[in-house]
Amino acid sequence: MNRRIFLLSVGGGPLACTLGRERRLNVYNWENYVASSTIPNFEREFQCRVRYATYGSAEEILAKVMSGNSGWDVVFPSNSFVRPMRELALLERLDHQRLTNLDQLEARFRAPKWDPLLEWCVPYMHSATGILYSKSVSRTPLAWADLWTDSYQRRVTMLDDSAEVFGACLKRMGCSINSGDPAELKRARDMAVRQKPLLRAYLSEEVRDQVIAGDVLVAQMWAQVAQVAMDNAANLAFSFPTEGFALYADNCCILRESKHKDLAYEFLNYLLRPQVAAAIAMEMRTATANAGARQLLPEAQRRDIVLYPTAETLARGEWFEALPGRVQRIRDRYWTEIKAA
Amino acid sequence: MCSGESKTNYQFPGTKVGRLRAVFVAPSATVMAVLFFAPLLIIVAYSLLSRGPYGGVMHPWTPENYRRVFDPLYGQVLWRSIWIAGAATALCLILGFPLALYIARAKRHRTLLLNLVMLPFWTSFLIRIYAWMFLLRDTGLINTALQELHVISQPLPLLFNTGAVILGLVYGYLPFTVLPLYATLEKLDPELLDAAEDLGASPWSALWRVTVPLSRSGIIAGCLLVFIPCVGAYLTPDLMGGGKTVMAGNLVQNQFTTARDWPFGAAASLVLMLLVLAIMQILRRRSEELL
Repeated sequence: MNRRIFLLSVGGGPLACTLGRERRLNVYNWENYVASSTIPNFEREFQCRVRYATYGSAEEILAKVMSGNSGWDVVFPSNSFVRPMRELALLERLDHQRLTNLDQLEARFRAPKWDPLLEWCVPYMHSATGILYSKSVSRTPLAWADLWTDSYQRRVTMLDDSAEVFGACLKRMGCSINSGDPAELKRARDMAVRQKPLLRAYLSEEVRDQVIAGDVLVAQMWAQVAQVAMDNAANLAFSFPTEGFALYADNCCILRESKHKDLAYEFLNYLLRPQVAAAIAMEMRTATANAGARQLLPEAQRRDIVLYPTAETLARGEWFEALPGRVQRIRDRYWTEIKAA
Repeated sequence: MCSGESKTNYQFPGTKVGRLRAVFVAPSATVMAVLFFAPLLIIVAYSLLSRGPYGGVMHPWTPENYRRVFDPLYGQVLWRSIWIAGAATALCLILGFPLALYIARAKRHRTLLLNLVMLPFWTSFLIRIYAWMFLLRDTGLINTALQELHVISQPLPLLFNTGAVILGLVYGYLPFTVLPLYATLEKLDPELLDAAEDLGASPWSALWRVTVPLSRSGIIAGCLLVFIPCVGAYLTPDLMGGGKTVMAGNLVQNQFTTARDWPFGAAASLVLMLLVLAIMQILRRRSEELL
């Protein structure tokens, strides 16, 4: 080996190492929750690399981070998962000094039920469960009870999700969506079994295309997904059932295991910037919890009552909560009975 | 045992052949031990523990999860899975045997035909199931075409029922019956059929009394390769069945996700596994008597 090349490689080694030790952040989020520019802009501004991946269910994320060495820094649990994750000591207690944009949040998300002091999470997006329907139906489904009538020629779907199906049944009965009362749950089960012959299927997001195509006329659906369907088909509408309905919100959290907490704080604060949050809400058609961002949205989207229901509508909503194991077990048993019926 | 490092030499301990054999078997044995037996042991341990408050497992040890599996409700789910998987397997065999026979006897383009059988594997199963949903739904190709041709006035309920689930399973697993059947049929000596003909057997009789019995190993392999994954299938019942039916696979999946009851999920999957093993044994015995 030529001596000069040898010296060069010895000297170059450490240099290459420092260059390779770029700052890194690992972000695990729901699908459709950042705009195409969000991550590249952050990488450029903060001179770092972001490993970004998405998941499709709240359980998935809990199962993955439960071990405490998942390798993720920032995750986005739903409101009902914040308390379990906190109790399992998975979350980092947030230092508000480092989240200077926190005051951009909408008032109702500055002290949310699942974390009143925002010690563990920063609300990010929100939505609700209602009814997506074709305007061509003879009977406009304004209440859950309408989904128990045979006005829709079996072209009705419910979400393939036990919490949502029980939620609709319980609301119809005038109970809480988080009920753990065995008698109430039993009645809810019977109600769901009675509804089953009227249903086309239990489908989650994948029903969207079938509602647009006209296969399905009425579907229990999340407002955000419904909004995308309505953007694609003018004959669709959405209602927030009169008996009450479920609300949910997804939140940014820093995992306690994170080895990149400084950068994680920067990322949370970056997402709270009105311009950044508005770009995401605009491109992905989601409902941001950021009041500053909402002000930046075009008039039509800012006043969209599907994404941003009025206070009067919201008064009928109820937040999902983490259910105790005992209740979870009863519900799962009844859910299997509904499915096997 | 002479050599301390070899665990798997049975026949020729200490000899050169034995050591060589150990060297070659060791990698696959290690893979099996680490990636199959160790996870299986974890599942066994999980199935005997209690449910953690938010998923996961915790003490104390308990047989309770197994007691719950034998609840009539879950028995019903298991029974359903078995009959749906059985129906799919039977259909695969009925469709797959003539196809395999045709390919095995084809004079030309045999490789092309085999590649066509395997062609679907080139795209993801999920995408193919979605394609079926596009074909079968009310506004799908089949219903639209039939309505345009005035064969029907109302769309046929093709999707979201047990028939659709079986169709999806047959479609997905048909290549698994065709390939082992082809492998055995191709090796079949054509002179045996000539001999049968010389001895006065009609083509039918030759098929039933010569070809079918001699392809027994292919039939068994093909059936098992379809039946086993079908019993545990969860994607097809969810998508093609529209979530209106629950099969054992969905039950297990649910325990690990929404219900967050890992111990029960582990117990249910182990019982399912034992059941499949038992059915396999019974089928093997039966087929030996029958064929």
